[in-house]
Amino acid sequence: MTDRIDDVPPFELAGEYVLGTLAEAERRAVIERLESDPELAELVAYWENRLVPLCDTVDPLPLPDTVWNRIDDSVTSEQTSARPATEAKPQRQQASWWHNLALWRGLTAAGFAMALMFGVALVIQQPQTSYMVVLATPDGHAPGWVVKASNRRSLKLQALGSFEVPEGKALEFWTKADDWKGPVSLGLVKPGQTLEINLDQLPPLEDNQLFEITLEDEAGSPIGRPTGPIEYIGRAVPF
Amino acid sequence: MGGKSVAMETDTFDYEACIRACASRNKKALRDLYLEEGNRLMGVVFNIVKNRSTAEDLIHDLFLKIWQKAHTFDPSRGNGRSWIYSIARHLALDSIRFSKRQVTQDFPIDDIPDTRDSGWYERVNSTHWGMGNHRIQDCIMALEPERRSCIYHAYVNGYSQSEISDLLGAPLGSVKSWIKRSLLALRECLG
Repeated sequence: MTDRIDDVPPFELAGEYVLGTLAEAERRAVIERLESDPELAELVAYWENRLVPLCDTVDPLPLPDTVWNRIDDSVTSEQTSARPATEAKPQRQQASWWHNLALWRGLTAAGFAMALMFGVALVIQQPQTSYMVVLATPDGHAPGWVVKASNRRSLKLQALGSFEVPEGKALEFWTKADDWKGPVSLGLVKPGQTLEINLDQLPPLEDNQLFEITLEDEAGSPIGRPTGPIEYIGRAVPF
Repeated sequence: MGGKSVAMETDTFDYEACIRACASRNKKALRDLYLEEGNRLMGVVFNIVKNRSTAEDLIHDLFLKIWQKAHTFDPSRGNGRSWIYSIARHLALDSIRFSKRQVTQDFPIDDIPDTRDSGWYERVNSTHWGMGNHRIQDCIMALEPERRSCIYHAYVNGYSQSEISDLLGAPLGSVKSWIKRSLLALRECLG
């Protein structure tokens, strides 16, 4: 599929992407390429900015109040549920650093892991935990899930915030160590869910092992490897 | 819109200020944006997905995304309103292109008026979309009618090339080349 989009002149590819006429595979390939191709991103911005006045031709459609209520709920729960599950004593202090946006923005993915490590170690007191992964959005701005492994044979996936899964879609959890050929599915996950996963079928966890959550069709990826956009990504750090 | 809005005294809504306020977690700004643009965005999204409850879900996703991504907005790449509409359209397009299930349309495709000769493009108003767009109406008008029609059905109605081919009763190959040539002509005209 990537070959096919490579044959199309970039300005045309960007134009068709913005128009919406690309078929599923090409559209996915463009979305993927946009992450690493600033020239294409520039052309997409060109078309978006030039064509957007066409939206004026559409009549507005009244929204029922329930829509705002749902947005309000999601925004509120995103703000409040982004707090570790254990509602332990030093909660006040904990909430203050947790909600400090500037702090989060300033931290790199490794920084997330460090900060959480201290937070979790203080609050939950699990000194035997040997691996920790913070899965953040690909732009590195928002942590969404934490993986904790107290040994190399099993792990626990915990959601930090909420994620709205589009209808007919599901989140799938993957892992890949540096020398594996491709990612291996660890199954579907639901937003807000805490999941214990047994790694008996896989080699033991190792440093820097990659974990990611992608958006897939409801039944999971049909081909056994990620096909949808990466929503959260992170690497294992020992501690 | 009750209370003090982000737009303040000016009568033009300040989208950039609103997005910046969202980035600093001001929920009132998100609400202002919703009141200002919600219904128009709903129209745009519904026109593409053609299913009311899917469109409402997407409007929810859109505002959540605006909230989450406000800090990534870069005014050097386009104006705030354009940023919001682009996210809305991509969410709607991803939804129809990536869903395996055939979405039940609230109205059949035949009910869509043929816009080949109607003056839909006269409603295109470039003034409130920021700079660089003032020629779009002229450039659209300069396209040959069937090419203009392809652009409309793709951009506004979210139709695939084969749906457009059915709708216009034209071979798929022609639709494909009309779209390619329209993009070339538009780029030439828009600069």
